[in-house]
Amino acid sequence: MKHNSFHVITDQMTDPSFIEEIKKMPGGSKILDCIQCGVCAGSCHARFAMDYSPMQVLKMAHLGLKQQVLSSSTIWICASCYTCASRCPRGLNIPAMMSGFKNMAMKEHVPAPIKLKPKFHKTFTEIVEKYGRMHEPELQMRLLKKTNLSSLLENASLGMRMLRKGKLKLQPSKLDPKTHFSEIVKKALSEEASK
Amino acid sequence: MKYAYFPGCSIHASAKEYAMSANAVNKHLDVEFVEIPDWNCCGAIDAVYAYNPLLSVSLSARNLALAENMKMDIVTLCSACFFTLSRASNFMKENADLKDKVDKAINDAGLKYQGGVKVRHYMDILANDVGFDKIRQQVKVPLKGLKIAPYYGCLIVRPTGIQKFDDPEHPVSMDKVIEALGAKAVNYPDKTSCCGASLVITDEEVMMEMTKQPLVSAKNAQADCIVTPCPMCHFNLDAKQKDVASHFDIDLGIPVLYITQLIGLAFGIPPKELGLHRNIVSPDRLLEKLKETSQNSKPIHKTAN
Repeated sequence: MKHNSFHVITDQMTDPSFIEEIKKMPGGSKILDCIQCGVCAGSCHARFAMDYSPMQVLKMAHLGLKQQVLSSSTIWICASCYTCASRCPRGLNIPAMMSGFKNMAMKEHVPAPIKLKPKFHKTFTEIVEKYGRMHEPELQMRLLKKTNLSSLLENASLGMRMLRKGKLKLQPSKLDPKTHFSEIVKKALSEEASK
Repeated sequence: MKYAYFPGCSIHASAKEYAMSANAVNKHLDVEFVEIPDWNCCGAIDAVYAYNPLLSVSLSARNLALAENMKMDIVTLCSACFFTLSRASNFMKENADLKDKVDKAINDAGLKYQGGVKVRHYMDILANDVGFDKIRQQVKVPLKGLKIAPYYGCLIVRPTGIQKFDDPEHPVSMDKVIEALGAKAVNYPDKTSCCGASLVITDEEVMMEMTKQPLVSAKNAQADCIVTPCPMCHFNLDAKQKDVASHFDIDLGIPVLYITQLIGLAFGIPPKELGLHRNIVSPDRLLEKLKETSQNSKPIHKTAN
């Protein structure tokens, strides 16, 4: 079997503390239970678009290859469908770990191979922080600024389709200020930052 | 039967017809939704969760705490909200440090979550609280001759660590509802595959490839329509279907209904009340076929009586 690439792993590439960081993530405690059976790789509906399979990413995590994991397209392509998690014979919560890797990549400013992805997460969260709920047109508008004309036109055609059918909610919902939703956001943001 | 109803953000926008049809169907099934006052975003599967996991779980916890005050199970129509709320509830059970931080965050808004709320999807309510017999008894227009492809998608059947009401590999709850309505549930590959979810916004090519699979499989199985219990799946399969067809230069044109819209048709509820005019792929051909088959079946009823 011919391998497209052959990696030599050096000490400089590995970060022994990576595995401890993963164990602390929600859903990450079982990372070392992975037996490399490949069920996740074989089950993944988005594998065709990833550079490494989920199984390979888990092995890379075992080896402490933090930068390689955080810069892989796999962690951003994962659609969180949880097929792998429902089939994993060792009960690993792989998609929750993929989300955790994205979190690390965003915090450590590791560039994502899918340009729009980190902006999507940031913008989505900011809109929820502002209104308490998602406001789809605002998300679309804020993300569109960064893309090209053809995708703008395609989105306009989808937008018209939605508008004609009354599927676009033009005004955002707002929560009752008396319920102090913003206090939760403030606290969660400061706790997360102090980690 | 009363439930603390968590609509979720899509239900108020792109998926309004899901709520319309569920409300119309509920009246026939003695199910009552009591909307959770001032509910917020469920916490999102990945968008908020990857950006700030503590915020995501705290958002879920606020909804759970509000429902706990109502002393009812939470019910949601959205598979993604169902999964996110269940996952948060599970994470708080298995991770004391996280629970502590979440408690502090929601305490600032005067809330406390004791951990006693059951999170349930509407399909669970139909299958286990209402039951297939009761659904069958309410049928006024049997959907005889219709072939329906149930599309379960991902999150309704994936294990959350809390409870599951259907098999993740071979779910049957929607098949049984379809059969109770008098239609045939077609078996086809990809009924638990992934529609591509939010990749629709961030990586459309990948999403198209993923959304194509169930659409093509259902079409090949000669289904008259697809039914789904999820607003996200519905968006990709229905609103994006035209784009998928032109991207791959294939003929699709398969209507995608919410499961509640299909139930409503069999209950004799007018299509307008079920919001069928809001579906993007026209369900007209399906409605015509239904009309034909129900007209043809009438004389049989008369002879039988």
